[in-house]
Amino acid sequence: MSVLEIDNLHVGYELAAGTLSAVRDLSLSLAAGERLGLVGESGSGKTTTALAVMGLLRAPGRVLGGQIRLDGQDLVGLDDRAFAALRLARVAYVPQGAMNALNPVLRVSDSITHALRDHGAPADANRIADLLAQVGLGADVARRFPHELSGGMKQRVCIAIAISLGPRLIIADEPTSALDVVTQKQVMATLRQAQDRLGSAMILIGHDMGLMAQCVDRVAVMRDGLLVEEGPVRRVFHAPEAPYTAELIRSVPVIGQDRRAGTAAPAAAADLLRFDGVEMRYGKSLFGPPPAPALHKLDLVLPDAPRILSIVGQSGSGKTTIGSIALGLLAPSAGRVLWRGQPLAATPPQTFRREVQAVFQDPYSTFNPFYRVAHALSVPLRRFGLATGDAARALMEESCRAVGLDPSLLDRFAHQLSGGQRQRLMVARALMLRPRLLVADEPVSMVDASMRAAILDLLVDLRDRYGISVLYITHDLATAWRVGDDILVLERGHVVEQGDPDQVLRAPSHQYTRLLLDSIPMPDPDRPWSTAA
Amino acid sequence: MFLLRLTKRLLLMLAVIFTAASLNFLLPKLAPKDPIETKLLELTETGGALTDMKGLVEAYRAKFGLDRPLAEQYLSYIKDTASLDLGQSIAFYPARVTDLVGRALPWTIGLLLTSTLIAFALGTVLGALLAWEGAPRLLGLLAPGVMVLAALPYYLLGLVLIYVFAFSWRLLPLGGGFEMTAIPGLRWDFVLDILRHSLLPAASIVLASVGTWALAMRGMMVTVQGEDYMAYAEANGLSVQRRFFSYGLRNALLPQVTGLALHIGYIAAGSVLVERVFQYPGLGNLLFAAIQQNDYFVIYGVVFILVVMIAVLMLLVDMLYPLLDPRVRR
Repeated sequence: MSVLEIDNLHVGYELAAGTLSAVRDLSLSLAAGERLGLVGESGSGKTTTALAVMGLLRAPGRVLGGQIRLDGQDLVGLDDRAFAALRLARVAYVPQGAMNALNPVLRVSDSITHALRDHGAPADANRIADLLAQVGLGADVARRFPHELSGGMKQRVCIAIAISLGPRLIIADEPTSALDVVTQKQVMATLRQAQDRLGSAMILIGHDMGLMAQCVDRVAVMRDGLLVEEGPVRRVFHAPEAPYTAELIRSVPVIGQDRRAGTAAPAAAADLLRFDGVEMRYGKSLFGPPPAPALHKLDLVLPDAPRILSIVGQSGSGKTTIGSIALGLLAPSAGRVLWRGQPLAATPPQTFRREVQAVFQDPYSTFNPFYRVAHALSVPLRRFGLATGDAARALMEESCRAVGLDPSLLDRFAHQLSGGQRQRLMVARALMLRPRLLVADEPVSMVDASMRAAILDLLVDLRDRYGISVLYITHDLATAWRVGDDILVLERGHVVEQGDPDQVLRAPSHQYTRLLLDSIPMPDPDRPWSTAA
Repeated sequence: MFLLRLTKRLLLMLAVIFTAASLNFLLPKLAPKDPIETKLLELTETGGALTDMKGLVEAYRAKFGLDRPLAEQYLSYIKDTASLDLGQSIAFYPARVTDLVGRALPWTIGLLLTSTLIAFALGTVLGALLAWEGAPRLLGLLAPGVMVLAALPYYLLGLVLIYVFAFSWRLLPLGGGFEMTAIPGLRWDFVLDILRHSLLPAASIVLASVGTWALAMRGMMVTVQGEDYMAYAEANGLSVQRRFFSYGLRNALLPQVTGLALHIGYIAAGSVLVERVFQYPGLGNLLFAAIQQNDYFVIYGVVFILVVMIAVLMLLVDMLYPLLDPRVRR
């Protein structure tokens, strides 16, 4: 018998202007022990479906039709109390933002205890230690606070809570999207083992087709609230029926395909940016040894020719520190940074700030919500005395067109734009100032998969059409390979490998590079994640 | 690390007290009024004719050390203050300032601290409820009332309360700490008498400040409810009480406690007026009278004690804060 059956589900938001459908005519079923991947971009209705199953839709959203049956019991129309009892006990949830999902003032043991007690289950130190052990955490973790845990550990704690009452169904909403590849692989292994032990069904929500190919038995693809395609994972990946599915699979960058390298730099090129033995230590400790360096004697040269240098590494490898130093936001603890042959400190800020621009990771918090986009974009133009009034407007519109955006977007507020549009606007903003270097720190990690390729192509465009060099910082080796002319692999502040991506990534000489490569989930169910987790 | 932090914090507190004490000494000196003359004028009015007014003024000045250069007065002031000798009152000579302050202090602490804590607790819970989605609808009606109260100054509300409850309805006494006829002692009727007298001033402080706390808390609670851990708690089917207290209120409380620390000084200032309005025998009333009579030593004494109280309370909040927020523990 199926654990979950969804029949003709219709979820909508009842607004004054009429009903806005978020999910229409959705039918799915899921057997015990089965893993279903629910794939789609933001706004496709995948999360709405999960919320409907858990009874967490908020007004004005509600189920307008259809049935959701859990072990034969219809959930539509249950009251709050019944849903509260059902959550965790029968349907457990593994959240996306495990970074902030745990109450910051509670110890891990308290978070677990609350979950158990509120469902009438006993909670003692042994039970908590046992749960933590099941997700590969030591008993000492129980006493820690969330801020004392790494992202992967927090996600494991959330998994421990999810399995604590032996649920029939586990809904994991992009559980690893905030983690780097190595941690992602470990956490997914833990989640799958726990689910296998319980024999519960699992819905994995996400937009990473690579992850889906590696983790689920069946895939359901959603778009604009409709089910586009559903089937066994091999069939869907090898012979997708819907063009949209094929497009999603194709949009996953794969090392060895589709590289967009530029021309080689002339051998005699001067330096644009040079790091000489740069070291960075955060914080000072009054007693005891000095803190471990975030960057360890780093040498790096970016020639004065349009190049893209990809910097890859896990979280905590120091790659963002490099970006911040290149932007002049951080001063290194030791070593020299030269900008066009001059020490960075001696470069006039007015010039330097214009010549080096940035695109950051989170497109949702980079724009001031109070201003229209045009205003936000005009500030740097005025600041550097480049243009005002109509001239500024013309420049902004030209930049928008260059990144493939309709200039009418300039009159909107940032919250009215999608993540992809905002990220393109950030590129447009940088482009307007005609910089020599763009520091792009994880510019696509929070953007829908289909938009990623477009934004990466923009970086290539900046290099080829506008002669701008790019420092591309990422944890995603495949995209680093796709756009990078050179690549630098960082591990805990040390450079482990450096050079032509073709050599570094296709014939890695360092085991850390191999570990990173092995952790990439390939969008092909027949090329399994290597078993070493 | 804790000891180091405590030491740093204590040194900072001493610096604050020292600075405040110095300002406290200098500011009243700028006023053009002469306390000795005021006092003597009062004496002449009550005690009949006096000859050689000038000589007498000089004599009194010498007695209180007011004829010495300012720097010398300052030094001896700091020395005395450090040894907790606050000198003698000019207006109520020969009463010692320490005694005057000592007599008034329990009244102020009893009234202010209690009513502030009550207002803080009430306002915090009320504000949290105002922002809580599942709270009873009726509570929403309280919001406008709370906002009006937040806009009223303490003393104005005090006057209204006196007029309604003490003057028109004669339910409660007009002012004072206890009945003039009462015999102080640890007996039920005296305790009840004190409570009856403190009801209106306490109510005016609580009512006037509960709104401020509630509004601040409501804002924080709205923010906290948007946090991921609130959604996660709900997705885990945690009970409503648990989500409200341990997750929502508990986290929204953190900035509220910082607010309390910052507010302590403001409360002390506002209470001066409340005590004055209610003729309450606390520090505020004493200070008010002292300022009117330019009674330097009492002013120094009261303000000094207030400064010390505020500094100690802020230190206390500061040192307790890490207990509330594990993220700042180092």
